[in-house]
Amino acid sequence: MIGSILQAGKPLLVVAFGTAAMLAACSGGGGGKTGGFTVPVEYHKLANGLKVVLSEDHTVPTVTVAVYYNIGFRIEPRERTGFAHLFEHMMFQGSENLGKMEFVRLIQTNGGTLNGSTRFDFTNYFEIVPSHKLETILWAEADRMSGLAIDQDNLTNQQGVVINEVKVNVLNTPYGGFPWLDMPQYAFKNWYNSHNFYGDLDDIEAADLGDVQSFFDTFYSPNNAALVIAGDLDPAEALELAKKYFGPISAVDLPDKPDLSKPPQTEEQRFSKTDTLASRPALAFAYRVPERMTPEWYAFGILDQILVQGEDSYLHNALVKRSGLTGSVSGGINFALGNKYNYNGPMLWTVSLFHDSETSVDSIMKLVDSEVDRVRDSIVGADELDRALIKLRSGFYDYLEYYSGMGRADLLACFALFDDDPGLINRIEEGFREVTPELLQKTAREYLAPSQRTVLELLPGRELEYR
Amino acid sequence: MFKIIILAVTALCAMAVYALPKETPPPGGEPKKFVLPSRRTFTLENGLAVTLVPFGSTPKVAVELVLAVGNINENEDQVWLADLTGMMLEEGTTSLGSEQIAEKIAGMGGQLDIGVGPDQTTVMADVLAEFGSEAVRIIADVVRNPLLPTSEIERLKNDLIRRASIQRSRAQSQALEKYREVLYGNHPYGRVFPSENILQSFTLQDVKNFYGENFGAARARLYVAGVFDQKSMEASIRESFSGWESGPAATANIPSPESKREVHLVNRPGAVQSTIYMGLPTIGPRHEDWLELNVTNFLLGGMFASRITANIREDKGYTYSPRSSISVRYGDAYWAETADVTTEVTGEALKEIFYEIDRLQGEPPSAEELQGVQNYAAGRFVLQNSDRGGIIGMLAYLDLHGLPVSYLENYTANVMKITPEQVQAAARNYIRDTEMTIVVVGDSAAIAEQISRFGPVVQ
Repeated sequence: MIGSILQAGKPLLVVAFGTAAMLAACSGGGGGKTGGFTVPVEYHKLANGLKVVLSEDHTVPTVTVAVYYNIGFRIEPRERTGFAHLFEHMMFQGSENLGKMEFVRLIQTNGGTLNGSTRFDFTNYFEIVPSHKLETILWAEADRMSGLAIDQDNLTNQQGVVINEVKVNVLNTPYGGFPWLDMPQYAFKNWYNSHNFYGDLDDIEAADLGDVQSFFDTFYSPNNAALVIAGDLDPAEALELAKKYFGPISAVDLPDKPDLSKPPQTEEQRFSKTDTLASRPALAFAYRVPERMTPEWYAFGILDQILVQGEDSYLHNALVKRSGLTGSVSGGINFALGNKYNYNGPMLWTVSLFHDSETSVDSIMKLVDSEVDRVRDSIVGADELDRALIKLRSGFYDYLEYYSGMGRADLLACFALFDDDPGLINRIEEGFREVTPELLQKTAREYLAPSQRTVLELLPGRELEYR
Repeated sequence: MFKIIILAVTALCAMAVYALPKETPPPGGEPKKFVLPSRRTFTLENGLAVTLVPFGSTPKVAVELVLAVGNINENEDQVWLADLTGMMLEEGTTSLGSEQIAEKIAGMGGQLDIGVGPDQTTVMADVLAEFGSEAVRIIADVVRNPLLPTSEIERLKNDLIRRASIQRSRAQSQALEKYREVLYGNHPYGRVFPSENILQSFTLQDVKNFYGENFGAARARLYVAGVFDQKSMEASIRESFSGWESGPAATANIPSPESKREVHLVNRPGAVQSTIYMGLPTIGPRHEDWLELNVTNFLLGGMFASRITANIREDKGYTYSPRSSISVRYGDAYWAETADVTTEVTGEALKEIFYEIDRLQGEPPSAEELQGVQNYAAGRFVLQNSDRGGIIGMLAYLDLHGLPVSYLENYTANVMKITPEQVQAAARNYIRDTEMTIVVVGDSAAIAEQISRFGPVVQ
């Protein structure tokens, strides 16, 4: 657990601690049930507004508890970039009945693992524990939802930790923020979507205890959260425990959500940045994704599979196999900070690769265009569409099992939090199956037009330039 | 009705408890027994060992062939030749082109993944349940009948040159490279990165020779875990692999790593953090004190609630991701603490790490602290064995080190038996601070003096 934000040069997220596994990634993930495989889902709402999702699975005697708050880094306070993430760290610093390190010790000394992460549109906290410890964990999560008990020393300590996190993942690392932290800042124009989510070091240092309390009071309430309990559990018993511990917590009035809308893009944007630690150039490009859960969004999920997922994809064949311009090409929706389901607002489909100095950006983009044009200019064949659906389904199964069941909890929590419908986990595949070849082409023509993209070039070792 | 009254009483009690200083966590119920999934193991006449593990309900199956081939088989002019050979295996067979293989496996919901490590090469695919037998056939074709086409070798060499360049630009890779070089010298484990010249020198003949000298059934084990039909799976395995030549027997090349108290400074001008990689050779999984050392490592630095992490992260805020671990290869192991710390407190961070090692050597942990770590080790063991990949990984680990299955069966019971005195003894015997190699990658001008008090500085 406790993963660093950037692992193995791949998907990353903003998490509290640093060591093992990360939860994010997996740009795979598509269709839900097939051949009788169904995810058990029970959905309840407590009187205080807390959404509770239960999913029973007795394969292993462990249970996953995940609390998702409907507050991501996108809508953090304007003068406090990075605050949503800094705050996530504060949730481990002490609550009414658990002092500093006591939450962490409670989980680990009961044989469990834990972590938290901050994303575009939520902050989550989760534990995977031996199933007989379910009540212990629910008590502890409810305790910190009830209120924090932290002091200036705790805050100063975590400001130091978070600044070190930014240093190890961005400032002292080649390709540190590339492209996951950089691309939204170049591609979007609305501040909420385009600011530095990890935070300017000055902003992180400026945060005070008043900010912490006000953020907690505003966003950390049961009516702004979803609780998922998945794994080796008895649903009736788990629901009673959830009521017992979370039921007494009061709801609060939530602020209106700010305007996240993006101004229309009319022409391609190109930027370059210099990374003095990097040894080779890198390139990323991003297109805007259709609104989540619309027919076009489902179509886009299939385009993602055809274009960039796996070694049979168009871009792999063109850029790796046939031309040798790069050793691998990776990308996806919500790339490196999540997956195509766990966000709720404007989003990018981003692709990134390393290359050599002799290769120009134009020559690479020319090859990209010729591949993207294949889905814009012609109708995708039935066998290719079938293969894309199979990849989606297989990736979806993998994600359900990901990180000892945390992937399943992630989908259930996001479908509850953003769609008020965790049962979507068993119907999502239908949406992909309903996509026609004609809709694929229409979606590609509209959303994968060159005018809709941002191209970001990373130059090794030279001064920052803009063009 | 009765139930409602009970709930009301409970709520009152809960309110009353708020008047007390602290509520204590409810203890939870009785632990359930974790049972390892059953396995079926058989060996083909050519020496290929096969392990089948029916597991779980998700309709997927993982097929993984593990070969005793890796960087250990390279000489000093061949660094990463094993990696290049692994990449060349993906370039098609005598009957299937590489694009056909990619499409076929994608059509099963998987991908051909070939990984090369110090001791092992793995060839695997994780596919939808109904395609398990077909995936076996393709994996067999890939390892038995590789085309090794000359047309692809220059592209792949260039990919490796780019990869080496990028990895080497990371501070953590630089630290690892230096640490391994100091411990292992010119043994293959000491050669983390090749020079560009070495990579440029590789020819198709080098790859063909390496393949011929190292690949064959006698060096391979096949693992299948997940949802599959045992009968047709076994038939497919026998049909696909029975004709494979045994090939060369596995070889051993066990190193004699050395370490002494020295500080190796790798200059990274202007670095805002210092990357610490410190440790020494230690005992491996076959040693009788292995589990004691593991529990000791968790307690000292191997979990979030560990002493070193509590100190330099949660108390001092010097770093984000400190961690200690035991790194294991065949017949070889080392212990290491790694951390990226703010440049200005490099010396202070090292001081605190040594303080925690000395404290554990000087005094056994309390029974309560140890009990928590034992629970963590037991819980982590269950999580590690809770999916297809984890189960295969654990079985392959046993096979690599020649450990009996009882290692897994008795793991929890044996961990729970460990005493505070055994932990103290393990810290004294196997985490000897007086012999530690300390590698620091950082801004020499800012840290040379800070680190000089921890041993002779070597640049």
